[in-house]
Amino acid sequence: MTNASLAPRTGVETPALRLTNISKSFGSTHAVKNVSLKIPRHEVVGLIGENGAGKSTLLKILTGLYQPDSGTIETDGRPVKFRKPQDAVAAGIGVVHQEQSLLSNLSVAENIAMNALSSKDAATSYGFYRWKRLNQEAAAILARVGSTIDPRTKVSDLSFVDRQMVEIARALRVDETIHAAPLVILDEPTSVLERNETAILEREIRSLRDIGSVLFVSHRLDEVLRICDRVVVMRHGEVVADVRREEVTEEELFRLMIGQESRARVRKGGSAAGAVAAVEAKGLGRKGQFKDVSFAVPAGRSLAIVGAIGSGRESVCRALFGAEAFDAGTLEVAGRPVQGWSMRRAVRHGLAYIPSERKVEGMVGGLSAAENLTLVHPREAAKGPILRRKARMKAAEDWFERLDVRPRDPRLPLGRFSGGNQQKVVMAKWLRAEELSVLILDHPLRGLDPGASQTVNDQIRAAQDDGAAVILLPDTLEEALEMADEIIVMRDGEITARFDLSVDSPTSLDLLEKMV
Amino acid sequence: MTDKDTGTGLLEAAPSPSQPPLRAGRRFDVKNLGEVLALIGLIAAFAALNPATFLSPENLRTILDHASLPLIIGVGATLVILTGSIDLSVEGVMGAAGMTFVLLTANSRGSADFGPWAIVAGLAVGVGLGLLSGLVHTRLKVPSFIVTLGVWFVGLGIATVLFGDQSIPFLPDGGIKAWPSTLTFGLPNSFLLAAAFVLAGMFVARFTRLGRFAYAIGDSEEISRGNGIPVLRYKLYVFIVAGGCSAAAGVLAALKLGAGSATVGVGTLFLTIAAVVIGGTSLGGGKGGILRTAIGVLMLTVLNNGLILSGVSPNIQSAVSGTVLIAAVLVATWPHRSRLRIVK
Repeated sequence: MTNASLAPRTGVETPALRLTNISKSFGSTHAVKNVSLKIPRHEVVGLIGENGAGKSTLLKILTGLYQPDSGTIETDGRPVKFRKPQDAVAAGIGVVHQEQSLLSNLSVAENIAMNALSSKDAATSYGFYRWKRLNQEAAAILARVGSTIDPRTKVSDLSFVDRQMVEIARALRVDETIHAAPLVILDEPTSVLERNETAILEREIRSLRDIGSVLFVSHRLDEVLRICDRVVVMRHGEVVADVRREEVTEEELFRLMIGQESRARVRKGGSAAGAVAAVEAKGLGRKGQFKDVSFAVPAGRSLAIVGAIGSGRESVCRALFGAEAFDAGTLEVAGRPVQGWSMRRAVRHGLAYIPSERKVEGMVGGLSAAENLTLVHPREAAKGPILRRKARMKAAEDWFERLDVRPRDPRLPLGRFSGGNQQKVVMAKWLRAEELSVLILDHPLRGLDPGASQTVNDQIRAAQDDGAAVILLPDTLEEALEMADEIIVMRDGEITARFDLSVDSPTSLDLLEKMV
Repeated sequence: MTDKDTGTGLLEAAPSPSQPPLRAGRRFDVKNLGEVLALIGLIAAFAALNPATFLSPENLRTILDHASLPLIIGVGATLVILTGSIDLSVEGVMGAAGMTFVLLTANSRGSADFGPWAIVAGLAVGVGLGLLSGLVHTRLKVPSFIVTLGVWFVGLGIATVLFGDQSIPFLPDGGIKAWPSTLTFGLPNSFLLAAAFVLAGMFVARFTRLGRFAYAIGDSEEISRGNGIPVLRYKLYVFIVAGGCSAAAGVLAALKLGAGSATVGVGTLFLTIAAVVIGGTSLGGGKGGILRTAIGVLMLTVLNNGLILSGVSPNIQSAVSGTVLIAAVLVATWPHRSRLRIVK
């Protein structure tokens, strides 16, 4: 691999990467079955599929973390074997991982060069850093992707989109070592980005086409169609479609991915509103976060709050749940003003909060899924301080069935489940509470594939039909329009517009107008 | 990833792909000056309370001399803590290394005299014990807390066996025994040695793979591994360095005491760990630095010295030190405490 630069340059017709009949199984499960695909030079190829469709396994094979059971990998027309991640790097494959893989307390330059720093490289000599050289190299690579981040900046001081830039720059660094067109693999790079940041990233990806090729893994179909030249769809470990962008629509892709019809997207009519608001905010304010926020959500209705960063909507939700204090206005739950509001009281009043930082705030990864399920309302599965294991398992198994959580084993630690399945369990934790009166959801669909999103949305609707008031911070305006009975728009901590969807039918542009 | 409220903006605001260039040299600044100000405040307070004695050259030399041991140990301890581990074996390693050194140099037992090689032997004992801690921790996956707790007593055991049941091995008067307190450029040699350790440590932390990887590992072992860093190997190196630092402190302590003793290091563990934490190095790893630890050491040394000069009973001094530790951590973490965060 190290002699790649000396090898004869092949023509443009030779794909940068070609996989032939790649298979990989774990025990009796075929994670990847007979996958063949090629990534031509100067092309952006999209790879989509539900959770568990085999995307991740395929990526791990491409990056040398897994070895395929059978099949061949060719780069630039020559067969290669990736025994370890460094082999893939040496072959010119750079990856931008789904979970951010930057060391946040090190500088940008160090992160970009990390693969080289950890092996023998000119950036260090005898274990000593050459900071100047490191910084210069990093600045040069960053300049290629059109970024002006100072390479000496600590990664923790960067915004998310800048971190993605650094990840891309790092992936690009591979071609510095082999002097050939690189293949950059982006694994769901937009799942943590803001919409405007996504636009920047999309531009970057398109410009990557000029210097190499891109494999873009995503589950946002619209995005894939916007960015990619070709789309490869995986289902159950197999490639079920390999189509050019012009030949396919979003609906068709969705069907290929799920293997079933997409359900109606519009919620037909609002449920009957209860007489008393389940939760009502009157002139709620918190210094520096939001002010004069008023709304009422009756039982069985849903309210979506939309707004940009700094709109204060997250803060409002946390205040409702008692996770953050408010210093003006009153909060009424079930018609009664609350005093000394706290999370504990909120839970006792039947409020539920599903945070966006699922891993940090929403779950205890080391405990089993069953224990997580019964964390909030332990009384049903306990006699005094003694937990009743059997009751808990029974409850957990019921919910696993209902929400189609996979693998179907509530005894596994929750941390071992995939993102979508974790979210299902986190939701179930609250939904199972009989006294659930208000469900607050902070970006419930973040990082979920369409299948899991649908399950989660179905559960939200079911909770609503059971009489819960829902307050939703959606990821997209479409989500708001689809799920909510009422939408309020916030900007800089204040409400700028209200839409009652049984009366108005605003478009996403109407909403956007009030947000900026 | 968790330190920012991401929200999800839906607006098409003017894209700002990059932040304005940050001020240069930010790698090197002590981020908040709180620790330095606290040190200056302590010095000012004690100088006001004891105008005649506290700022006298003799007393300042005493403070620097007292700071030398925790400074040397602090270099290794900081590196270990940066990786997210901890080294509790300090006092045991000091005892074993100190005893080894005393018995192999000219002493009242007359066991042997290998000259400068005695120092090398003492350091080798420390490096060996650090290697032991590191190997057990990284290969056998035993938490560093437990491994080094064990190695502490292994070290004490070695020192006790070496001490045996014979007479106390004294170092002869004059010669190397006087070295630590000899003044060079008006400063005690012990402090100059410690300063050399601190400078070397700062260099390692900023300009070498060992130091940078220690930060990386402390930030996230998993991501470090994904980036190709040989995590286990570098953790092992860090424990070896820490063992070497403890051993150097043990040899110096034996010189200062002028005799071999298994318990030569008593009290230094608390002082060192406290100084690391007060300096602002996070016990979770990844954040902090050796200069910070040095400032922490000076704070605690000044505090102890000042309390004695101010006539505070030695009986309550340890309680005061402990209170200061807790208060310092409280002050340091106050701005970062966020809702919904849980501390273990």
